[in-house]
Amino acid sequence: MPAGRPRPAAPGPPAPPAPLLGLLLLCALGAPPGSRAHTAIISPQDPTLLVGSSLQVTCSVLGEAPGTPAEGLYWTLNGRRLPADLSRLLNGSTLALVLSNLNGSQQQSGDNLVCHAPDGSILAGSCLYVGLPPEKPFNISCWSRNMRDLTCHWSPGTRGETFLPTNYSLKYKLRWYGQDNTCQEYHAAGPHSCHIPRDLALFTPYEIWVEATNRLGSARSDVLTLDILDVVTTDPPPDVHVSRVGGLEDQLSVRWVSPPALKDFLFQAKYQIRYRVEDSVDWKVVDDVSNQTSCRLAGLKPGTVYFVQVRCNPFGIYGSKRAGIWSEWSHPTAASTPRSERAGAGGGCEARGAEAGAGPVRRELKQFLGWLKKHAYCSNLSLRLYDQWRAWMQKASKGRQQHRARAACPRAEGARREALPDKL
Amino acid sequence: MSRREGSPEDPQADSSVSPLTHLEAKIRQTQSLARLLSKYAEQLLQEYVQHQGDPFGLPGFSPPRLPVAGLNAPAPGHADLPVPERLRLDALALEALPPLLDVVRRLQAELNPRAGRLLRRLEDAARQARALGAALEAVLGALGAEPRGGPRPEPAAVAASAASAAAGVFAAKVLGLRVCGLYREWAGRAEADLGALGPGGPA
Repeated sequence: MPAGRPRPAAPGPPAPPAPLLGLLLLCALGAPPGSRAHTAIISPQDPTLLVGSSLQVTCSVLGEAPGTPAEGLYWTLNGRRLPADLSRLLNGSTLALVLSNLNGSQQQSGDNLVCHAPDGSILAGSCLYVGLPPEKPFNISCWSRNMRDLTCHWSPGTRGETFLPTNYSLKYKLRWYGQDNTCQEYHAAGPHSCHIPRDLALFTPYEIWVEATNRLGSARSDVLTLDILDVVTTDPPPDVHVSRVGGLEDQLSVRWVSPPALKDFLFQAKYQIRYRVEDSVDWKVVDDVSNQTSCRLAGLKPGTVYFVQVRCNPFGIYGSKRAGIWSEWSHPTAASTPRSERAGAGGGCEARGAEAGAGPVRRELKQFLGWLKKHAYCSNLSLRLYDQWRAWMQKASKGRQQHRARAACPRAEGARREALPDKL
Repeated sequence: MSRREGSPEDPQADSSVSPLTHLEAKIRQTQSLARLLSKYAEQLLQEYVQHQGDPFGLPGFSPPRLPVAGLNAPAPGHADLPVPERLRLDALALEALPPLLDVVRRLQAELNPRAGRLLRRLEDAARQARALGAALEAVLGALGAEPRGGPRPEPAAVAASAASAAAGVFAAKVLGLRVCGLYREWAGRAEADLGALGPGGPA
């Protein structure tokens, strides 16, 4: 960046009506005898500059002091003494300083440039604001919770830090009429976000944009146009219950209630379920749980605690064609699968006996079981057959020969009801 | 049955003990308040210097101790004064602090708009100083001392402070440091002066 004069500040500090008078008033009234406190002035005061620019600043001793009062003065910037070769005496009472290739300010209140007397006492100070103009905000995204409000967040710009206090203002208006409005509740969902709590219209598009302003300039994002109905999200499904499926050791039943806030509106809810083993951080996700309020998880480990969560997407609300926005996950609900009755046997006598008795039919059923375990999804037809087979297997493992003879087609109704307390 | 000082059946003895006990309790309460606010004032000062940047937080940083219009630091001979006079000066100073703390808060809202905790502490400090000043005046009233012996802080004092801060950002930072320092000094002074009111109280 070429060296040059500092840029004039954009919206800089308010112009003081009588700054020097005020300072002198204090000096005349308050300076203790024998001290040189605040008996100099730095110019320019509180300049604003671009990163990489240069600055010449002077410290002028006030009053009529004999000799060369500026001799022996020195500068510090943010508490660090500056090399003497950056300074030179302009005249007997003025010490100049040249700073080149300035870095961004270390704090938002400005870098502290101080002129010191030879004994180290402070004669005067000035604050430098070195930074960058704001970049164009981008990536605005918004959502409405139950069609009652609107929250938006955005990215400040690819460069990130401007080193200067930068004000972001979210603006919105109805596309076809109305005046510009300014969002008031900032940081509702992160540092670059704003919340509009009320008075929003449906079935008509809004235009939304973000304006960024600091001492060095301003920038405006592209305009986002949206209808509130296209960005609706809702609360997590309440009353999530997870329970065992009879004695089935590798299944759990999940039930929930559709979000009450949207119960009066026509929409096709989608749900997702995720679950994990108690001591794991890896979630498994069950997709495509369409418009149901229950589901059965299969292929689980016996005797294991699982945590389960559910979330809802109210897509298609009032005929919206958009995909909808997923709610937050419900609070985790835990349940455990029954312990395996055959686990203690360690593949012992009853299981071996069963294998010997069933032969090729059992091998085929085991293959079917293996295939089902890989696909732990809610499939009504598969699970019905699977449950029938499982119930039959459990009875067979207790050593009843008459059940083994019916391996391929277990007698259904009673066993199914026992194994299937939930309706699928 | 053990002897006790002051028979419980003697109403004359009860009425003479009760007001003094009430006053002592009031003094101890106010001293506890002053102790708590001294701690808050120290925290405020630490928070303040953090947001101004170096050299404000560095050891040995010594900006000019310019007097703030309308409020001085405790004088060197303050501790030699009679206790009621000390408390009176404490109350006056604490009464002068809230508008100055408000000026500092407004300045910091422009300089450090994201420093939410600092701004809240400055707002709280103004209320705390007002409360402690009122508590000291109540103690002075209970002692029978004249609560206010000097002129009230002039509004012009606050304007002068604001003008001096408008002289530049560095001056504004120094003003805030000075005001926060004065709050700490006077809260600590009030705690010590209340402690000088022993269990017997001044005559």
